[in-house]
Amino acid sequence: MAIDPGTEAQLSDDALELFVEGADWESVVDAVEDDRITVNMGPQHPSTHGVLRMVLDLDGETVTRLTPIIGYLHTGIEKNAEVRTWVQGTTFFTRMDYLAPLFNETAFCLGVEKLLDIEVPERAQAVRVILMEFNRIASHLVWLATGGMELGSTTMMVFGFREREHVLDLFESQSGLRMNHAYIRPGGLAQDVTEDFVERCEALLELLPRKIADYEDLLKRNPIWNDRLRGIGPLDADTATRYGVTGPLLRAAGVPFDLRKAQPYSGYEQYDFDVPTETGADSYARFLLRIEEMRQSMRIIRQALDTLPGGPVMVADKHIAWPSQQSLGVDGIGNDPEYIRHIMGESMEALINHFKLTTQGFTVPAGQVYVPVESPRGELGYAITSTGTNKPYRVHVREPSFVNLQAADVMARGQMIADVVVVVASLDPVMGGVDR
Amino acid sequence: MGLESKLPNGILLTNVERFVNYSRSTSLWPATFGLACCAIEMMTSGGPRHDMARFGMEVFRASPRQADLMIVAGRVSNKMAPVLRRIYDQMSDPKWVLSMGVCATSGGMFNNYALVQGVDHVVPVDMYVPGCPPRPEMLLDGILKLREKISEETFAEQGAHA
Amino acid sequence: MSEFAVPTRTHGLARVALPLEAIAARVTAHFPQVETLQAYGELTFHVAPEELVALLTFCRDDEELDTALLSDLSGVHWPAGDHVIERQASTTGWPEYRISREQGVIEVLYILRSLSRNHWFRVSVGTPDDAPKLPSVTGVFATANFHEREVFDFFGVEFEGHPNLTRILMPDDWIGHPHRKDYPLGGVDIPYKNDKFIPPPDERDLREVID
Repeated sequence: MAIDPGTEAQLSDDALELFVEGADWESVVDAVEDDRITVNMGPQHPSTHGVLRMVLDLDGETVTRLTPIIGYLHTGIEKNAEVRTWVQGTTFFTRMDYLAPLFNETAFCLGVEKLLDIEVPERAQAVRVILMEFNRIASHLVWLATGGMELGSTTMMVFGFREREHVLDLFESQSGLRMNHAYIRPGGLAQDVTEDFVERCEALLELLPRKIADYEDLLKRNPIWNDRLRGIGPLDADTATRYGVTGPLLRAAGVPFDLRKAQPYSGYEQYDFDVPTETGADSYARFLLRIEEMRQSMRIIRQALDTLPGGPVMVADKHIAWPSQQSLGVDGIGNDPEYIRHIMGESMEALINHFKLTTQGFTVPAGQVYVPVESPRGELGYAITSTGTNKPYRVHVREPSFVNLQAADVMARGQMIADVVVVVASLDPVMGGVDR
Repeated sequence: MGLESKLPNGILLTNVERFVNYSRSTSLWPATFGLACCAIEMMTSGGPRHDMARFGMEVFRASPRQADLMIVAGRVSNKMAPVLRRIYDQMSDPKWVLSMGVCATSGGMFNNYALVQGVDHVVPVDMYVPGCPPRPEMLLDGILKLREKISEETFAEQGAHA
Repeated sequence: MSEFAVPTRTHGLARVALPLEAIAARVTAHFPQVETLQAYGELTFHVAPEELVALLTFCRDDEELDTALLSDLSGVHWPAGDHVIERQASTTGWPEYRISREQGVIEVLYILRSLSRNHWFRVSVGTPDDAPKLPSVTGVFATANFHEREVFDFFGVEFEGHPNLTRILMPDDWIGHPHRKDYPLGGVDIPYKNDKFIPPPDERDLREVID
C-alpha cells in the first residue's frame, strides 16, 4: 500500500496529520493513540483498475471507511457530444466504457432510434446482439485477467488476454478496429458483416467453451483463489438496491434482474437463455456468476447465428440511413463505384442528400428518452434530450461503474486492507466509464 | 543522472557512451501508467500474442522509482496532470516518456475543457505513438524507435532533457 | 457471509410491467399537483421541489409502485432567452420548435425503477439556474450521493441536506460548472477556425470561464 506523503487525504477536523517518509514509522506508532490511520491509495496504483484513488481509514489493518475519489479520467464526453451530430455521437460514446464499446454504441443508437421512431432491420439487430454478447465475454475475460493479476495469478492474466485477442480479431474483421469501433450507427450498422462472419463466430464458439472450462479447472478449486475471494466484499440485495448497484453484483446477491429479460431490446426476447444468479453475495459468487454469464452469452450467440436473417443492415429512409451499403472500390479503399456514379452522375438530389447527411447530419424530433441496456457491469442507461436539431441537446450516461463504485465503501468495511484490492476487482469498475 | 554527469564529455568516452546506451536501451523498465483505452492495449502488448518480453521489457514496475520509461497510455485530464508530473518527478534519471495514442499526444478528438491538450504540456515527451488506440504492434514499434533514439544519444543530450 | 444470503425483500421479477396509466393514476391520487406527461412510451412526472422528497419516498415505500432503485439522476440546463430551432424540411421535415423562457431553469431528472414490478418512470423537477437549490434525496436513496455530487459539479445545483456536497469529477479548485450551456466547451482553438493559431503552451488558459 503506497503512502504518498504529499497527497492530502480527506481528514476530519480533529484528525492528526502525519507525514511519513522513509523509515520513521516509529513516530507514527507513538503519535497515533487509538491505532487509527488514514492511508491514501492511488490514483496511480497497480491494483486500482486505472486511475481510481481511495482514501482508507484503517483501524490497525481493518478498513473502517473507504472513500473513493474519482474524476482523474474525466473527459467531458457528454459535453463534447453536444457540439457534434447524432452520428458522430457514436464515436464519442464508444470511448466511454472502453471494455464494452459496443454496449455504449447500441444504447446510444437505441435512444436515437426511439426518438426517431424507426425500427432497425432484423439483420442489424441480430448482428448487434451477437457482437454485444461477444463483447460481454471479452469484458469478463479482462475482468478475470486483471482480477487474477491483482491477486498475483499471472497465469490468469495471460490466459484472459490470450482468449480476448481472438474475440478482438472478430471485431477487427467486422469494424476495422480492435476497440472503440463506432460500428453500430443510428439506424443500423456501419456496414454489413463480412462473408466469413458466421465462420469466424463458429470458430470462437468452438474455442471459448474449452477455455472457459480451463479457467474453472484452474480457479474453482484453487485454495488461494478460494481463500482470497470467499466471504470478501459482501453485498446483500437490500444494500445493493439502496446503492443502486445492478449487474453481476446484484445477481450475485440473488436478484435475477437483467434488462435483457426485464425490458428486452434488439430482439432479446426471441432467444432462450437463463439469468444466472448466485446466493453467496461475495466476491467468489461474482466470479462464478461471470463465468456462467459467459456461457449464457454463448447460448445467445448460438441461437442468433442459427437464425441470422438476411436483408439490409440499415433503415431504408435515405434521410437517416448513413450510406452503408457500399463495397470497396477497385483500389481497395474508398466508396462503391456504383454509388459514386449514382450521386455524381445521375441524381443531383442524391448528391445534395449525401452532402447534407455527411456534413450536417439528420435532425431528431424533440423529446427526452431514457434507454437502458444490460452491459457487463449493469444497467447502462442513456438519458438523451433532443430539441429537434441535428445535435443532441444533452446526453447523460448512467454508467454502472460510476454507480456501483459507491458500494465499495460498504463492501470494504470490516475487511482487511489487503482485501480492498479484491473488493475493487470484484466491482469491476472501468474508470473510463466512471469518469466519462 | 548517474556517474557520467561527473565526467567531462570527450572522445575517449564515446565507447563508454555506446556501452551505457546499449545497456539502457535494451532493458527499459516501463512504469505502469495506464489511464484509459490505451492502457488495455498496453496490457495486451505484455500479453501472450504480442509478448513485450521479447524485447526485454516485460517488467512493468508499479513504483516510479524503479522505472525509466513512462508510457502515458490514454487521455490526461486536468485533474490527473499534477499527479502525472509528480510521478514523472519521482522517476530516477535517465528517464524517457512515450506518449501513447492521440489523446495523450494532442488531446485528440476530445478538444474540451476537461483534458490537457497534449501531455507535452506537462512532461517532456521523447516519442509519440499515434492511433486511437494504437495497436500493440504500433506501441512496440514506438518503443523500438525510442530504443534507437536512446542508443544514439550522447551524455550531454541526456543531461539536457532530464 | 451467510446473513447476506437471503434477500429480505421480494425481488422476484414480474414479466408484465405495470401499465403507465396505472402508475400515473396511483401517483396523482396521492399528489394531485403533479403534472403527468407521456411521450415515447415513457412516463414523466413534473413535480415542485417542495414535494420532491415526499413523492420519492412515497414511490419507494408504496407497495404497488415499489421503486426500490433510483436508476439515474441527471441534469439538463435550459438557459433563459429565445431559442428557435428552424424547420429543416430538406432533410427530415420536422416542425419548427420555439423554446422561450424568461427564467433559466436547471431540470433535474430522476429515473425510478421497480425491480419487483418491472416498470420505471421519470420524475422531473426544475430549479432557477441563477440560484439552483433542491432538497437532497440521499435520505431516500443512498445511491443519490454520487449522482447529486455530479449534478452539483456540472450544474451547480445545491442539494440541501447532502452529507458531502463537493466536486466529484472536476478538480476541487475548478471555477464554473462545465455542463451548463453558458460554459464554453473549452479546449484549444483549432487553427482553421477564425484564423486563430494555437498559442504556445505557457500562454494557454485552459480554465478560461465566461462568468
